[in-house]
Amino acid sequence: MEGILFWVCGLLMVLGGLMTVVQRSAVVSAVWLIFAFVCAAGIFALLAAPFLAVMQILVYAGAIMVLFLFVIMMLQGPVLEGERKRLALPLWPAVAVPPMAVVVMVAGYVQRDGVTQMAGPVPEGFGSPQHVAGLLLGKYLLAFELISIVLLVAIIGALAIGKDERKLPWK
Amino acid sequence: MEITLTHYLLLAMVLFLTGMVGFVLRRNAIVMLMCVELMLCSVNIVFAAFSRFHASADGHVFVLMNFAVAAAEAAIGLAILVEIFRRRRTVNVDDLKALME
Repeated sequence: MEGILFWVCGLLMVLGGLMTVVQRSAVVSAVWLIFAFVCAAGIFALLAAPFLAVMQILVYAGAIMVLFLFVIMMLQGPVLEGERKRLALPLWPAVAVPPMAVVVMVAGYVQRDGVTQMAGPVPEGFGSPQHVAGLLLGKYLLAFELISIVLLVAIIGALAIGKDERKLPWK
Repeated sequence: MEITLTHYLLLAMVLFLTGMVGFVLRRNAIVMLMCVELMLCSVNIVFAAFSRFHASADGHVFVLMNFAVAAAEAAIGLAILVEIFRRRRTVNVDDLKALME
């Protein structure tokens, strides 16, 4: 059962990622990326991380992608209709490198000598909000506090960048 | 067939490469930012997979940190894009090469 769900979620997520890259319209790209993130939530649920699955939907598929769609809506017009025909690089490295990386990974898998099996069944409540919160507010309290500074800097930076320059307080 | 750690790592690598190729090939700055989000998401899958592999939830904490970093990156990146669009009326990175020339 876990195997089937992994292949369904994984392949659909790869499809979502590929369609994000291939679609010419930014709005369609964004919708495919939301689809990929919902599949990622399924992967998290398979990995015994229910809290992360919920947060993936709430934060990524919800908040961040709505921000993207909102900006696309603001910038709508002739700009986003299509891209130039010319690409930044010749296409062949982009097409050749990923399969080579996959080949290296599969070769490493065939040659493996370590254990790659997942640990046995996890205890009840593994990855639940209580469990993660215990770590977040205990062992990793300092990192948790510091990440709030990152968010504060991002808020101030976004406000400062977006504001009319003549009205900035230091002008 | 049993799903092992390697399956999840392979999935994350394919997703990361997809995002990387998209970042290199696409010229629309908004889509490039979305490709960065895809790459960050693949890293989150690696964290969660190793967390399950060791049956220890420490990786989940770092995924949450990554969510915050991704949100901050999206907010700043999109603010810069809106400002660029306000001045130059484009988000095509081919037209934004004042620092390159």
